[in-house]
Amino acid sequence: MIWLNDSAEREAMIESLPAAALVSVELPLRANLSVLENIAIVPQYRQNLPFEVAADQAWALLARLNQTDCAFKRDPSLNCVERFVAKLLRAVILRPPIILIDRPAILLPDVCYPPFLASALQVLEGEYEDCRILDYVWNAPLYAPR
Amino acid sequence: MHTALEFLTRIGGGALGWLKAWGRLLTFGARALVETFTPAVYNSATRSVVLKQIYFTAWQILPGFLLFAALLSYVVIQIVVTTARDFGLSEFALEVSVRVVVLETLPLLTVLFVALRSGAAINTEVALMNINNEIRALEDVGVDPMRFEFTPRVIGGAISVFALTLLSCILALILAYIAVYGVQSWNVGDFSRVIAKVFTPVAFLTLSVKSLLFGLAVTVIPIRAGLEAPRMLFFAPIAVLRGMVRLFFVIMFIEVASLALIYM
Repeated sequence: MIWLNDSAEREAMIESLPAAALVSVELPLRANLSVLENIAIVPQYRQNLPFEVAADQAWALLARLNQTDCAFKRDPSLNCVERFVAKLLRAVILRPPIILIDRPAILLPDVCYPPFLASALQVLEGEYEDCRILDYVWNAPLYAPR
Repeated sequence: MHTALEFLTRIGGGALGWLKAWGRLLTFGARALVETFTPAVYNSATRSVVLKQIYFTAWQILPGFLLFAALLSYVVIQIVVTTARDFGLSEFALEVSVRVVVLETLPLLTVLFVALRSGAAINTEVALMNINNEIRALEDVGVDPMRFEFTPRVIGGAISVFALTLLSCILALILAYIAVYGVQSWNVGDFSRVIAKVFTPVAFLTLSVKSLLFGLAVTVIPIRAGLEAPRMLFFAPIAVLRGMVRLFFVIMFIEVASLALIYM
């Protein structure tokens, strides 16, 4: 967890971690691609994999989070959980050194997000090296004490 | 004095902005052209975008476009043939109709059709991508938008315009033969001689280069106009409007330049 006091601190933190893959409301999905394509495009482009292979990888990740129902939906048809999962998996499949989840309260406005995040990250364990959550200090009481 | 100075400053600022915009457009076009000939650009993801672009720009419209091109060509050829006969100039009918329809009308018609359909769509899509920050989102996951989104569209657009022009020209040549000689094959030799007279090396090269330039213009200009949109939603229609106007003038400039090259 990285606790923030204001947006300037948040921006400084993001800038200090240039290698991190950001999961943020400011980085939307490609609107004309489905969730599956949005995730698969990363290995397809970066590793020059055939689409079928990249899509299998993306599908396996969606299946681990029980979200295969949204695989063929595009961004405007997604609810906040599906959109968040798509963004998270797009970052996870990249296998960056750090995944940075930026202000989950904005990404998941209709969900009690601390337990949701904890369970999603637990399910994906082994797929990423390090994950940090950027949240404001006033949201700290929402998280269970460690 | 002060007002005159202010007026001149405004004019100068406008002219400078105009020049800079064209400079950015040419730089972008040159970069897209370089990327087109860079083998590293062609991976599984970019190839699929090229194929999708060809599908949407050429394949999807092929039957309707060819039907329209055939109808228009046949009508124009008939007008030329009838008029030439009326003036006792029948021996020039085929040459004139091939020059009018194949060298000039069909390439221009093709590019205008693609500009209105795909150019406007590309311009809108790129403007919205830019406004919604989707371009930065792609960069953040290590996908180069120039290589993944823009260059494949330029390649697909250029191939589509070239292919549509070629197909409509072949169709027009067949129709011109039928209109002048009827449905028989005895005059293929005469027909070939006229075609060889029209398609001099300069005319053939000009037609090929013109089609390729049309193909580049119809994608490069809308993409660049979309990228120039300030990141506010109400600028999207303005970006499309600017892109389309710029595209129209560039198409006309290429057409006039090619006419000058062949006939002057």
